[in-house]
Amino acid sequence: MARRLKTLALAFTSLSLAAGFALAQPVEEELVLITPVAKTLTDPTLADFAKYAKEKWNVTVKTSALAAGTPVSYGRIVEWKGRPEVDIFWGGESALFDKLSEQKLLSKLDLPQATVDAIPATIGKPRPIYLKDPKGFWIGTVLEPYGLVYQPKVLARLGVPVPKDWDDLLHPKLKGHVAQCAPTRSSSSHATYEVILQREGDDKGWAWLKRLGANTGIFTARSRDVPSVVARGEFAAGFAVPSYMAFEDRLAGFDIKFVAPKTAWITPEPIAVLAGAKHPKAARAFIEYMLSERGQRVAMERGVFPITPKFRVQGAPGSRAEMAVEFTGGVRSYFDIDVTNIYDDAKAQARYQPVNEQFRKEIESAWETLKR
Amino acid sequence: MKLPRASGAALGFGLIWAFLILFVLFPLTRIFYDAVTNEAGAFTLGNFQDFFTDSFYLRSFWRSMVLGAAAVMTTSAIGIAVAFLIVRYDFPYRKTFSYLTMLPMILPPLVGVLGFVFILGRAGTVNVVLMDWFGLTEPVNFMYGMHGVLLVETVHLFPLMTLSILDALAKVDPSLEEAAQSVGASGWRRFRDVTLPLTTPGYVSGALLVFIWTFADFITPLVVGVQDLLAPQAYLNIMQFVDRRLFRMGIVISALLVLLAVVFVIAAREYVAIKDYSSLAYSRVERRRLGPVQRWLAVCLLTVLMAVCVIPQVGVVLAAVGRGWALTPLPVEYTLEFFRTVSIDTPKFIVNSFLYAGLALLLCLAIGVPMAWIMARTNAPGRGTMDALTTLILAIPGTAIGIAYIRAFNVPLPFIGIPLTGMWVILPLVLAVRRLPYTVRGSYSSLLLVHPSMEEAAANVGATRLRTFRDITVPLVWKGILVGALFSFIMSIQEASATIFLTLGGWEMIPFGIFTFYIAGSQSQAAALGVILIAVCALCLFVVNRVAGTRVGGLFG
Repeated sequence: MARRLKTLALAFTSLSLAAGFALAQPVEEELVLITPVAKTLTDPTLADFAKYAKEKWNVTVKTSALAAGTPVSYGRIVEWKGRPEVDIFWGGESALFDKLSEQKLLSKLDLPQATVDAIPATIGKPRPIYLKDPKGFWIGTVLEPYGLVYQPKVLARLGVPVPKDWDDLLHPKLKGHVAQCAPTRSSSSHATYEVILQREGDDKGWAWLKRLGANTGIFTARSRDVPSVVARGEFAAGFAVPSYMAFEDRLAGFDIKFVAPKTAWITPEPIAVLAGAKHPKAARAFIEYMLSERGQRVAMERGVFPITPKFRVQGAPGSRAEMAVEFTGGVRSYFDIDVTNIYDDAKAQARYQPVNEQFRKEIESAWETLKR
Repeated sequence: MKLPRASGAALGFGLIWAFLILFVLFPLTRIFYDAVTNEAGAFTLGNFQDFFTDSFYLRSFWRSMVLGAAAVMTTSAIGIAVAFLIVRYDFPYRKTFSYLTMLPMILPPLVGVLGFVFILGRAGTVNVVLMDWFGLTEPVNFMYGMHGVLLVETVHLFPLMTLSILDALAKVDPSLEEAAQSVGASGWRRFRDVTLPLTTPGYVSGALLVFIWTFADFITPLVVGVQDLLAPQAYLNIMQFVDRRLFRMGIVISALLVLLAVVFVIAAREYVAIKDYSSLAYSRVERRRLGPVQRWLAVCLLTVLMAVCVIPQVGVVLAAVGRGWALTPLPVEYTLEFFRTVSIDTPKFIVNSFLYAGLALLLCLAIGVPMAWIMARTNAPGRGTMDALTTLILAIPGTAIGIAYIRAFNVPLPFIGIPLTGMWVILPLVLAVRRLPYTVRGSYSSLLLVHPSMEEAAANVGATRLRTFRDITVPLVWKGILVGALFSFIMSIQEASATIFLTLGGWEMIPFGIFTFYIAGSQSQAAALGVILIAVCALCLFVVNRVAGTRVGGLFG
């Protein structure tokens, strides 16, 4: 009997100990993201974060990412109405994050001041690109340009010179050989449509985009398909491609080239913790990790750039980091060079639907006519 | 207290109806509710007006119809020819061909079209050979456009047609044809006046399925760059959430797809009138031996057909083992790493697939077999409705069901506080609902084959009901149930169009994995998963073929 009591007492103590431990636990054992950022960037960072959590707190964090395009991610978060199935929203346009925080669907970040201060408020001229939210609901993680891609072998066969700027995609011999994703489907495409529209005004911009439509051989279902079809040589060149997506195809062994034209929009890939997240501590820990040197280094090997001037993409000769530098045209940090930005995100978000409507009417519906 | 038998049966009957109402009818009405209301929830027909005044949507509508009709024609031509060859004639490797011609059916969504693009795309094997060896400067466009969609759908769906015709043909009483022969009608005349009318019900149900399947497929058109069709528009509009107007248009299109499916099902039933099951018994067919030249021709024809049919499989296998394959006829570098990443590194796709499809199978058995029994053995009220509902489920596009579930089941459940869409059971549930008809049809047709007199005879000599069921009914019907259930399993494990809208992190099945890998640009991983899925399904189909031969066409009626 006494023995039994003792066992019971022991069980009880260990139970309460476990409970106490759980309370004191620095991070939860799970972390879920919803993100338009491709697997090839989210998988390695999440895997390394799990390792980091194990080393730092001896906690095994089960991480997973729900892959969804920016509009879908945004839509699902809104549909969840403050009872999210995930903890973190990562990637997309910062204006969408502002919209979410207005709807009180994000929770404040409360990061260490030094971490926040290491990231400049803006980059680019004449229009600033915001790298963090002054109100503290979201923060940039990495920098990445939306540029164009091409397949050198296919271009050579067509006798088309290597493209350097957006205008080179209008080459007459590229008729039917350009891939793009509709701006109604992809936020990177939408942003680049706005770059073209804001570059020389709406009238000239739409005329330009119609000519691009005439050269287009496929409107892919998703922006990620654009570098894929170019990498395999199905199409010669692609419009509005995030640098790291193209770099992944390069890493997978394909001969694909990337160019970021001078006016290419650069996204800070914002990140935020959702209000009502089930694992807020793990979420915050992941963001801190992403902004630390360790997190930035993992990301830099994937074809994106550091969000702070503290680091530069650098590695041993032949390393992935060096491959990435070569792939993106020799840039090691966007804080080293003068960034030109003409894209006004606020303006773009304010007329999101009208631009989509005009695209549907003048390009998508008229595609057959444009191609003639 | 023991329930009297009658009320026990009534309870089961009630439960089945409750299931059908809750998981089939309720979500579908929810889509229609969404389609005829605006953001504020007020009734409006404006959404439909928007649809029918938009020239782009109208064109999509028209083109979907044309595509569906074209697919019916191409699959009919191939399907009927193959069915006749296999049922009526004897030639070498007949049995092998009868198995092989079923294989294209198990091409998982996305995998088929990807495989075709690897071989016939602008940078596919054929074009690379043409350009590198024969100096062609511009690739031949085999795939991008409506013709590409038609090619993929034809190869994928002609077995449905073959099976439906096979089933009908095998049930045609030879004496009818002999009678025609004896009064002097031979050859074409006999075929036109006797054989054709007798196979019409089977043909119509096959044609209906081909039409609706083609018309509801959104993945194939998207891969080959065709967006002006209804199903891709529904998918694209719903998968972007930001533009609420487009989102609602997506729901309107889905409602329209369901509506059209209902109309087609009713039209087909009207046309076939009352299905005649009197000649349901399979009759022994005398196969005609073909002459040496004809025999050779038959084998040649089927071999060429099969060669076209394996294009996607070949393409997918090559992509799954080739690294960085681009612009060469075959991959240059070979590796098994993609198989490793999708199976050993992340086993969840395979584990979830078997778990959910297995649970769906059990649900199908639990609901489908009693349903079949009610339809075959009782005159309970609502039998006809149950039968119609089974056909309808078969015809409703998966996307519509997925969207219907998302809209209908995202309210927190009482007591638990979590909506059904937040729990993984929704996946086996939706799979079971979508694939229920195969189990029902399989069980139903085999129950009809067992004449109640056999059971009565057993009862007369003193066997209890249970004993009769065990010793007479089960041995006679298990094949039909097994075949139906295995089909439910095969089709569940390949399902993507409904689950794609419902899957949350951690619940990914193989088709969803294929989709996410493809979307993430990792086509080789997508291909590796595709190969695994094809292998699993081919194995199941082999079992079906062993058990039932090619007599599974009745499943689709």
